[in-house]
Amino acid sequence: MNRAGRYARWAAIALVIVGSLFPFLWMLSVSLKRQVDIFGGPSLPKQPTLSNYTALFTQYHFGAYLVNSILIVGASVLASLLIGTPAAYALARFRLPRGLNGQALFAALLVRMVPPILLVVPFYIILAKFGLLNTRLGLILLYTGINTSFVIWIMQSFLAEIPTDIEDAALVDGDSRLSALRRIILPLASSGLAATAIFAVITTYNDFLIALTMTSTPAAQTVPVGISTLIGKIQVEWGPMAAGGIIGALPILIFAFIVQRHFVRGMTLGAVK
Amino acid sequence: MAVTTAPVRPSEPGRRPDAGRRAGLDRALPWLLLLPAAITLGLVSVYPIYAGVHASLTTYLYGRPVAGAGLKNYTDTWHDPVFWQAMEVTLKFVLIAVTVETVLGLGLALLVANVVRGARWIRMSILAPMTVAPVVVGVIWRLIYESETGFVNPMFTSLGLGAPNVLSHEGSAFFGLVLVDVWEWTPLLFLICLAGLQSIPQEPLEAAAVDGAGPVRLFFNHTLPLLLPVLAVGVVLRLIDAVGTFDQIFVLTRGGPGTATQLISIYAYNTAFNFTDYGHGAAMLIALLAFAFLLVLVALSLMRRAAKRVAQ
Repeated sequence: MNRAGRYARWAAIALVIVGSLFPFLWMLSVSLKRQVDIFGGPSLPKQPTLSNYTALFTQYHFGAYLVNSILIVGASVLASLLIGTPAAYALARFRLPRGLNGQALFAALLVRMVPPILLVVPFYIILAKFGLLNTRLGLILLYTGINTSFVIWIMQSFLAEIPTDIEDAALVDGDSRLSALRRIILPLASSGLAATAIFAVITTYNDFLIALTMTSTPAAQTVPVGISTLIGKIQVEWGPMAAGGIIGALPILIFAFIVQRHFVRGMTLGAVK
Repeated sequence: MAVTTAPVRPSEPGRRPDAGRRAGLDRALPWLLLLPAAITLGLVSVYPIYAGVHASLTTYLYGRPVAGAGLKNYTDTWHDPVFWQAMEVTLKFVLIAVTVETVLGLGLALLVANVVRGARWIRMSILAPMTVAPVVVGVIWRLIYESETGFVNPMFTSLGLGAPNVLSHEGSAFFGLVLVDVWEWTPLLFLICLAGLQSIPQEPLEAAAVDGAGPVRLFFNHTLPLLLPVLAVGVVLRLIDAVGTFDQIFVLTRGGPGTATQLISIYAYNTAFNFTDYGHGAAMLIALLAFAFLLVLVALSLMRRAAKRVAQ
């Protein structure tokens, strides 16, 4: 490429990055402004303040939202890994009768692909039936199920990449299937497991619709729902809302950066590697 | 999306005294490993789908099931002009947004594909919008669009133009939401195209370049056909997701002004949870599911036909 072309390309890339990141910086700037400055037109914060952040915790229950989010995300991701990984292993290593492997994988994919809006009405009816509305347990159960399908699908593709020879050697040496799985396969699949776990954490932490419909008080509401409560019908708490947005975005951006290499795979359900 | 299965190795009987018992355990093992997952998926997918269909066949009054409805919820929905209007908004939203995202994502991937210096940071900056919660995306753009506190109005007035008040007018609110979706999801198509581009073998390209093919012809004759299968996956995933778009709209406009941004998802949500009419809500959502499948089928067959034409 000639010199002008190279400059043009870097200019285009710079423009894209600004377009991509500026909205975040605008939110950060609003979150650091005093109430009077928010209405003062676009400018940097004149006297940067953390008062919006402290208000989140003293007035708007963000401590409770964070605790709920962490407990719900942690429990449901852990449970789905424990349930999904063995199933993924079975699908990657054994040929089941009647082409069941393909069907099972397709079923797992289907659950993941159905937009959550389609599931909320039945979910609501079921949780209401068992008295689990507005409880952490109710949300943990729903997310565990949704994540399990994802774990099966992604872990299956990671496990299928591990050569069978290694496992065969262990079996010849007298290991049972289970101990070969524990001693040989899981350590080899650990980076895949970590990536899968982080994807599950991201999607669960980010979910809004299910948490919104199944909860009604800070006893079980999660961070995204908490952010939306700052948007009243009449008045919007701009400063705290921006600060809440930052709190909602920051952990996820950090996580996403860590698993960047695997990101396409997670986001495309393993279809693209 | 090929399914990889390893051939089952014959076990080696007679090696150890407990070999017979172990062979039995080995035969049962796959089923034991699958069982917990099968139960879990049954509980959160099969049963809810059953419950959803059941709800769509039931009449609800003030949130309580009062009688079987037969197909009444479906016929009501079919004759509901608001439903069809929401369908139109959904279709327009999905088609415009996904088309723009595909073109931009492909262009971006071509732009960045050969960049080595700072590639990690460039990629991370581009994909930031799609990693954060859709609610946060809604908050970000509310802070930009909003008339009193936002960024857009002062910018326009400082240029001597009238304040657009993006979210207060039907047309601008709709395209404002399309822009939000494009900002959030172009990165997905970008990443998919980038991964696809990097897996394309370079030798045929170099050979064609030596034969004097220009970059445009190289792209349409060589790169695009090889990229199509991967692109198809991206478009289909995005279509399904876009049909269910909810969070951003809930935060930004709640379907307004009027019904300009009322997608089916918003209308069904309001019907089910604001008016506690779960029957009609469920019927609409099942119609939406059928619609999503239809879109995916059409998208897949278009991509297949395009792939065939390019191959000729």
